[in-house]
Amino acid sequence: MDTPDFKVRTRAKLADRTMHAVLWLVALTFVGVLLVFVGAILKQGWPELNLHFLTSMPKTLDAGGGIAPELLNSLYLVAISLILALPIGVGAGIYMAEYAGQGRALRFFRLCVETLAATPSIVLALFGMILFVQMMGWSFSIRSGAFTLALLNVPVITRVTEESLRAVPRELIEASYGLGATKLQTILKVALPYAATGILTGVVLTAGRAFGESAILVFTAGTNTSDKFPDFRLSVPGETLSVHLWYVTSDGTLPDASQIAAGTAAVMILVLLVLNLLVRLLDRAIRRRTR
Amino acid sequence: MRSFDTELKNLRDGIMAMAGIAEEMIELTIQALAERASAKAEQVQALDRQLDEWELKLDQLCIDLLALHAPAARDLRLIASSLKIVPELERVGDHCCNIARRTAFVHPPILAGDSLEQLGARTRSMIRRAVDAFVGHDAPLAHAVIQSDDEVDELYGQIYRELLRLMLADPLCIERASHLILVIKNWERIADQATNIAEEVLYILEGRSAKHPYLRGNAVE
Amino acid sequence: MLNPQIPETKPVKLAVRGMNFWYGEKKILHDLSMDIHAERATAIIGPSGCGKSTFLKCFNRIHEVSSQVRVTGDMLMDGVDINRGGIDQVDLRRRVGMVFQKPNPFPRSIYENVAFGPRLFGVRDRATLDDLVEDALRKAALWDEVKDRLKDSATGMSGGQQQRLCIARALAVHPEVLLMDEPCSALDPIATSKIEELIFELKDSLTIVIVTHNMQQAARVSDYTAFFWLGKMVEMDLTERIFTTPRERMTEDYITGRFG
Repeated sequence: MDTPDFKVRTRAKLADRTMHAVLWLVALTFVGVLLVFVGAILKQGWPELNLHFLTSMPKTLDAGGGIAPELLNSLYLVAISLILALPIGVGAGIYMAEYAGQGRALRFFRLCVETLAATPSIVLALFGMILFVQMMGWSFSIRSGAFTLALLNVPVITRVTEESLRAVPRELIEASYGLGATKLQTILKVALPYAATGILTGVVLTAGRAFGESAILVFTAGTNTSDKFPDFRLSVPGETLSVHLWYVTSDGTLPDASQIAAGTAAVMILVLLVLNLLVRLLDRAIRRRTR
Repeated sequence: MRSFDTELKNLRDGIMAMAGIAEEMIELTIQALAERASAKAEQVQALDRQLDEWELKLDQLCIDLLALHAPAARDLRLIASSLKIVPELERVGDHCCNIARRTAFVHPPILAGDSLEQLGARTRSMIRRAVDAFVGHDAPLAHAVIQSDDEVDELYGQIYRELLRLMLADPLCIERASHLILVIKNWERIADQATNIAEEVLYILEGRSAKHPYLRGNAVE
Repeated sequence: MLNPQIPETKPVKLAVRGMNFWYGEKKILHDLSMDIHAERATAIIGPSGCGKSTFLKCFNRIHEVSSQVRVTGDMLMDGVDINRGGIDQVDLRRRVGMVFQKPNPFPRSIYENVAFGPRLFGVRDRATLDDLVEDALRKAALWDEVKDRLKDSATGMSGGQQQRLCIARALAVHPEVLLMDEPCSALDPIATSKIEELIFELKDSLTIVIVTHNMQQAARVSDYTAFFWLGKMVEMDLTERIFTTPRERMTEDYITGRFG
């Protein structure tokens, strides 16, 4: 047999290099877009960022208002919604990964979770308004907002938990059973610790999304804040940063609306950056302990 | 064919070649005794050198096969037994040399009849058949070889007693007769070695030792 | 069942009688019967897919964790059927430990890996745990190498150390039987010989069943060897018999490398 012309390989090599360059460019584009975007927001908002802006109450008609209650409400709402969503989401994720088996029940349950995850937030918002604000009589309040926000969070956490658990190496699960562990012991002592970083990452993504959510909160937590600061009552209205941002720009009664908006946007971006950074650190700490 | 199988074939071929040489040497000793042919005695010495060379070569081959292929079961038995068969064949050569050295001292003949030739021929046949059994995986033949040993022993006994009688009758033949006693002893030893080879063949084929039947049944595990 | 000429002084630990095994609808093992003696190492050899690993896993029912399986026939440990009544899975797996093909330490410290089993069974006392951990690590010939770094992560160890850690982890709950599923297939020759030496020592106090692709390993470490083919047991005998004078042609062909 003749040796074939192996030089055709050069084409494959060329394609390989081209693809490498293309993908690199795509990645670079992403970084570029992000940098321009974050840069623009921070550049506009930076002059507004000062202690006064962060610590004083907003004003309805005059210039010089702050965003203290909005910042607090944002974090507070996200925290409460996570406290509500975590046990349900993680529990459902465990059920789907470990107990539902492979049959119809799992498929049906997954369909439900995915439908819920794909529901537009405005639909959730109206649902939350009808259920919590009107039927439950909670009016526009932190708790109405937190419960509705939790509806947004649960399917994501469920999905992330399930996938993280499925990614736990089979060998570890077998090792645990092999030592005489029960199913519950195996899940609690081996699977969940291993899946923790994955779940944590998912939770933070959820938190970020909830932090930026506006539609749901406009209809459930309201566009006002309590007169007191700080006010941790669950029954008071709880306007968040994103709602505030939307409100000041669309209402137009504030003389310094654009400055307030720029400052609010910058604060939101900064909070998200800090949040992501925190997760990185936490993730690394857990990973070091468990892998 | 795998290289290992090729090497095993080389081992078998080598043992066959050794057997061929040993057989030829026995034949030469028979003729040398009968004809007082010193040339044939010298030929025996030359053939012995070939046997020695084969022994070194096959020993090394066996060791290499053990070291490189970690043989098991029948392969292992074949190689382990070859390591014992090869020295037996080499010893056949040594016995023949011994006989060849004595051809000068046994003339004129003192024994009537062809009992000497018969003894030589039978031992030769035993070597021949033992190696045939090895090559042909022939257990019945190996059993037959082991049985032939009794006939050889009997013939040896007859000649021995005859030689003793001659020595008592005529002191002048003592020197020739004592050389002849050593000659027949050498042949008898060759027959024993054919028996040993046949026992190894049975081990290769059947997987259990055919040696020392009186110990069987209370073997130490 | 084995050759009656061999006086076996050790009692039968595991007895298998007419056992069949299905994965879902697929029948994997056919009419297996064998005796496995206490304080002996029994090797199971055979080509890939012959069912030897599946058979091994039946002894602690580990594949029931993830698959639909069905077993008929008897599998007795000390005379008690392990599939039906008498003993539950969790207790069975405590008594029948397992070492897997790939070292699978938990992503925790060396100490926590070994303490994992005892903790499952409610051992809380620190001193008791310390003793159990040290004892298991010594039995696995690992103590001297790791005694100064028990808090280090197990995943930072070499493959051979990880596998010995997995053995220590299994030993820590004082099993009566140790199943080993090709325990050296991912290890280099030096690590392999350490594990083999360990098997040799462990069988003084344990029943060992080892599945291996490496026939020389079976020859080196085991007292009995069973040859499996297509889910059936072709032959089982003393290891030295299997490797010098097997009775079945198929066994002979397999161990001399002339199979198929």
